[in-house]
Amino acid sequence: MSQALTIDSLFVNYERTAVLWDISFSIPAGTLIGIVGPNGAGKSTLLKAVLGLVKPLSGRIDLFSKPLQESRSRIAYVPQRETVDWDFPITALEVVLMGRYGRLGWFGKLRKADREAAWQALELVGMSPFADRQIGELSGGQQQRLFLARALVQNPDLFLLDEPFAGVDLATEKAIVNLLKTLRDQGKTIIVVHHDLPTVTEYFDWALLLNTRLIACGPVSEVFHKEQILAAFGKTAPLFQEATHLSAKSRVL
Amino acid sequence: MNYFTDPILRAPTIGCILMCVAASLMGVVLLLQRRLLVGESISHAAYPGAILGILALALLGPEWEEYSFLAVLIGALGSSWLGMKAIERMERKIKIRSDAALCFTLAIFFGFGILLASWLQESLPQWASQAQVLLFGQAATLTDEHIMIYALLALGCTLFILFAFRPLQALLFDRGYSKSIGINTRSFERALFWLLLFSIVVGIRSVGVILMSGMLIAPAIAARQFSNHLKTIFLLSALIGALSGLLGNVLSVEIALRYDSLFLPTGPMIILVSATFALLSLLFSPKRGIAFRLARLASFRLRCLEENILKEIWKRREIEFAELKRHYHPILATFVLQRLIGQGWVDRKGGVLTLSDDGQTRAASIVRLHRLWELYLTEQLGWQAEKVHMSAEEMEHILTPELEERLTKLLSDPQRDPHAQPIPQKRPVL
Amino acid sequence: MNPYSGAGFFEFFAILFQRLAQVCMGAPLTLATDEVQLAVLACCAIACGLIGPFLVLKRMTMFANSLSHTSLLGVVGAFLIGSSLWDGTIADISILLLGAFIAALLTAGLTETLSRLFRLQPDASIGLVFTTLFALGVICVTLFTKNAHISTEAVMGNPDALQWSDLKLSALIAFLNIGLVLFLYRRLQLASFDEPFAKAIGAPANGLRLTLFLLTSATCTGAFRAVGVLVVLALLTGPYLTARLFCHRLSHLLIWTPCIGLVACTIGVALSRSILSWTGMPLSTSGLIATFIALIFLSALFVRRRKKTRTGWTGSALPAG
Repeated sequence: MSQALTIDSLFVNYERTAVLWDISFSIPAGTLIGIVGPNGAGKSTLLKAVLGLVKPLSGRIDLFSKPLQESRSRIAYVPQRETVDWDFPITALEVVLMGRYGRLGWFGKLRKADREAAWQALELVGMSPFADRQIGELSGGQQQRLFLARALVQNPDLFLLDEPFAGVDLATEKAIVNLLKTLRDQGKTIIVVHHDLPTVTEYFDWALLLNTRLIACGPVSEVFHKEQILAAFGKTAPLFQEATHLSAKSRVL
Repeated sequence: MNYFTDPILRAPTIGCILMCVAASLMGVVLLLQRRLLVGESISHAAYPGAILGILALALLGPEWEEYSFLAVLIGALGSSWLGMKAIERMERKIKIRSDAALCFTLAIFFGFGILLASWLQESLPQWASQAQVLLFGQAATLTDEHIMIYALLALGCTLFILFAFRPLQALLFDRGYSKSIGINTRSFERALFWLLLFSIVVGIRSVGVILMSGMLIAPAIAARQFSNHLKTIFLLSALIGALSGLLGNVLSVEIALRYDSLFLPTGPMIILVSATFALLSLLFSPKRGIAFRLARLASFRLRCLEENILKEIWKRREIEFAELKRHYHPILATFVLQRLIGQGWVDRKGGVLTLSDDGQTRAASIVRLHRLWELYLTEQLGWQAEKVHMSAEEMEHILTPELEERLTKLLSDPQRDPHAQPIPQKRPVL
Repeated sequence: MNPYSGAGFFEFFAILFQRLAQVCMGAPLTLATDEVQLAVLACCAIACGLIGPFLVLKRMTMFANSLSHTSLLGVVGAFLIGSSLWDGTIADISILLLGAFIAALLTAGLTETLSRLFRLQPDASIGLVFTTLFALGVICVTLFTKNAHISTEAVMGNPDALQWSDLKLSALIAFLNIGLVLFLYRRLQLASFDEPFAKAIGAPANGLRLTLFLLTSATCTGAFRAVGVLVVLALLTGPYLTARLFCHRLSHLLIWTPCIGLVACTIGVALSRSILSWTGMPLSTSGLIATFIALIFLSALFVRRRKKTRTGWTGSALPAG
């Protein structure tokens, strides 16, 4: 079974605080995995490190056994909705078309195939009637589905979603989860930063519990237990926190 | 040449000092609110009003020419107030982003001001010089009356900050919270708003519309580097501002005297001086300055290297100098070893290195920390024994005595690490 | 003899079209000063109208303010390098552009260093860099050119001194900006809308940012004498903010914005000429342009308000559809 994502001894700082400390894990391809942990635990940072948006202090990240540069075209990123200015003068269709730009470099042009892919993606998330709408007019759930369509259009093997269910209505949430499960059945790997504990067992095959350090990573049935959850969200290991923060402070300019 | 008594020099000197004090105090407020660029918009928005003031005076009461200063002041206050209101409206009602609102307002108001200035130039040329002065200022022609107004301004700002310090501090730190505990944030902000407007508008006569905002920026930045206490920051900022005002003036005059007819305008000189202060503080201030951060980092890395070498020697009882040079960089190894020998941690006999007694103790304590940490990771956090070494290599240099004590207690004074190696015990203090 | 002297507002346009027609029918092309002004300003309006929207969308307008001020230093530097005489001619366009680029890189580099390495908050970095560099520019002007009028010109513009060489420069920059937007439209859109995503999919987000810096600096340099470093900001932001009140497709905005700028500049020149003819007063063209942009913006606001109350629509700031 090939590994979609392998991380080894990853250390990531933000200014002079340790955000991720000695993280090592491996996710097999075709898994739908939820990352959970308290606020500030480094969940978004983990995704950003995988995408190369954040530079780690040290550690190794392999995507499908290759470095990021070679596997970039196989990953799709669905960032948090609040990172974007929803007043931007752009239509839904144009947002989805953006997904095709990764492969075009500086001067490539969009082709018919690209447009068709965009329409298909919109269709799949149920947003085709809104293709010409200005994004500012869309509801939270619609915006999220749009972002997902943009990811779909890239035809990736690995999806990275950052809190896709925040501020989204229940119907959209269920629809997205079903879509994700379908994608998983097709062999895609899907990593989701999730904020809602009660739904973890229902939505995901695997769980990754994170609290600056890795608490556990594996099938939900094995890993998602009371003690692990407590360890992730609880205040145990204050000593570890203090020591790692001290270390982070000393190493950074 | 006495800058404070000479009748020609004292007004510019004292005036600039006072103006800079007021500006630097307000600059601190803007810095903490993260709105430093608002000063730019205010000063540019003041331009058309100032010209209108001159126009009004020229048309209505030309015999009161010596009060043109007041006309300029009132006009400038009016249009900068209008500018700020416009920005507010744009941000709130039209949802224009703050940077675009600031930029658009400053450009439009200033452009309108240019139009008015050209009109003034053509229709009332005898008053045009007044308008010209507003662009880049003319500190050299300040009079004693100006000093009075500047003194009032500086006093006003200082008194406000002194008496309203506590609520000001709360407001700057956390607006929502201060509102919730009953501070009248609205009136405070209004007071600050007017003080800001005054300090900028009044200063325009000395350094001009375009450079005025610079007076607020650099001293505040410099002061911020030196302290985290609001009172100190205000004080330092005022001091640095005053110094910049003084030095800028002095330099401008001295250079003009020394190098015939090389008149460097005062406004830019003051800004350059204050920017130099800012740069120096960014580089060299203790704790936050880059130089210190670099030094701290370098000394940490050096200590790590020293301790690693000590450990190496401890593990093998004795090492050949040549071998260390091969393992680490030769120059670095030599340098570090000289330090270690010089400070008495290491003894050298010929080409062989051993630890002194003190060296033994120190190396043992580092190894102790290393192994304690490894045990902590495996026992308390469930890490696998193969993975703990790297982490311990880092932590052995970090763990403080207090953390060590807590570890010892937590692990119940252990004797063996996860690799079954003995943990050096703490030597009792004699 | 200037064919426009004595012309009123509408006569200005009549003469303009007449001369255009003559040129089309084969008459030799000799530009009157007014026409040179108009041409240069038109190029500035186009250049600003194409780049302005991206600056606003990327929240880089105050940074553009920064670039615009430091272009004074760039021009002085170019002057020093080219050792040309500042008597109304600019020796070499390429040196000026080089000066602009270097000033832009300097500004951007220093601002980034202050933000990243020195951990200064963004408004402080921008503010410190541009006030210092501008002050330095003013001092250099006094030191090296012995002509303090340059600083005033920089700030107010001097459209009456515009010449063929200025037209070449602004036309070049307008073409560069047109090229940029034509070829890189989608990528600019992407990088302005969602920069992290752009980086994540491997689009050249940083390269685009740099290109935007450089072109903004060039645009400000090209507009230096035409309208001055402050009114160019009005041309960069005003038309976009106006158009945005009514239009929400970026592609359409990129057509409206230069048009609004063009209108403002044309009317500015015509007004300047007609006021001169009527009253004998040469008012500042750049001031007229800025004022007119403000008027256009205010009228647009007014119209939009009336539309809102008439249809009884209350919603977000942007009209639906």
